[in-house]
Amino acid sequence: MEKLEALKISSMRPRSNILDRPLSKGKTEVSQSIVALLFSEIVQYSQSRVFTVPELQTRLHDLGQDVGTRIIDLYFVRERSSKRETKLTQMLLFVKTTVWKNLFGKEAEKLEHANDDERTYYIIEKEPLVNTFISVPKDKGSLNCANFTAGIVEAVLTNCGFPCKVTAHWHKGTTYMVKFEDFVIARDKQMEEK
Amino acid sequence: MIIYGVYIVSKSGGLIFNLDNNVPRIEHEKTFTYPLDLVLDYDSKKVSVSFNRKDGINVGHVLVAVNGMPVNGVTLDDGRDVRTTLDAPENYPINLKFSRPKMTTNEKIFLASMFYPLFAIASQLSPEPKSSGIEILEADTFTLHCFQTLTGIKFIIISETGLNGIDLLLRKVYELYSDYVLKNPFYSLEMPIRCELFDNKLQELLAQVEKTGISNIDK
Repeated sequence: MEKLEALKISSMRPRSNILDRPLSKGKTEVSQSIVALLFSEIVQYSQSRVFTVPELQTRLHDLGQDVGTRIIDLYFVRERSSKRETKLTQMLLFVKTTVWKNLFGKEAEKLEHANDDERTYYIIEKEPLVNTFISVPKDKGSLNCANFTAGIVEAVLTNCGFPCKVTAHWHKGTTYMVKFEDFVIARDKQMEEK
Repeated sequence: MIIYGVYIVSKSGGLIFNLDNNVPRIEHEKTFTYPLDLVLDYDSKKVSVSFNRKDGINVGHVLVAVNGMPVNGVTLDDGRDVRTTLDAPENYPINLKFSRPKMTTNEKIFLASMFYPLFAIASQLSPEPKSSGIEILEADTFTLHCFQTLTGIKFIIISETGLNGIDLLLRKVYELYSDYVLKNPFYSLEMPIRCELFDNKLQELLAQVEKTGISNIDK
């Protein structure tokens, strides 16, 4: 009788051990409240260490760069099976879609090329996630906390071999202005000719 | 359904936000003959009734227009002094318009800090310990609904009488507060709320409630 019971229990055990199962992907979503509160703290921390609005923007920008450098490899491994982009437009599209989607859960609205300057591209986002709950006081009119995101974009592009400067502006929501170095454009043209 | 105003009182009893939503204008116009049978009080900033109430004109009402011409404080729009105009017999019969004075911000702050001890007294009056204090205060023309959060912030909504579900609306306002005020890095606690997004969202919410009722607020 005892033997029989022991047999029963062993047969009820799941066949695959937890160590045999593949790693679960886990939840990829994070509470927006937590993100907003953390970002709010980041801004407050930065604000307590600067005197002027431009300084605050630069600080946020620098913090964004730290994030940017850390995520590039991750996303290329995860999404592009470890292959880096070499073409400028492909790279920008990668930023607009993949990077944005993984960071903020949605794509950026638009990617535009400036008419008068071929070095300049615009990434337009109507409502940046970081600005969802932020109302900028009137005495800090020009401040856009999305400079943090601009920092991320700059680090991603620069570390992928497309050195550039990215700034955030209030225009059609928030517009990130991406200004590449001259040689990036020249190199891209050369590649197209081949 | 009409909501007259929303107030937020900080945990130390100061008014940190107020919104006048749908305040009814009470105005009364009447033509007077000489001598004027109202006793007026000539303040440095306004002309108000101090004695004799008639035809809806009450003590405390402020003179807003003379013969259709707006009054700015104690002078008429064309620069004449109100007192000399009203004292001269040749100006009669004269048409005067009175209105209930608008509450100034100072008066609102004053009233909000008066509510604070009332709330505290009410919660101490209770035979049970840890009572909530005033939640609803009813008068014949309005109802005051108060909701105190765990952190001691009071949300107050003044509405017309006989409405149900204002507590839901209060919680929704609390939600907006915790989203658009507390997650804003430029807001410091206990300070007056000056957040554009909060103002907009609150007005949107009130407009929606007035149009479609409280039961339709998305949770």
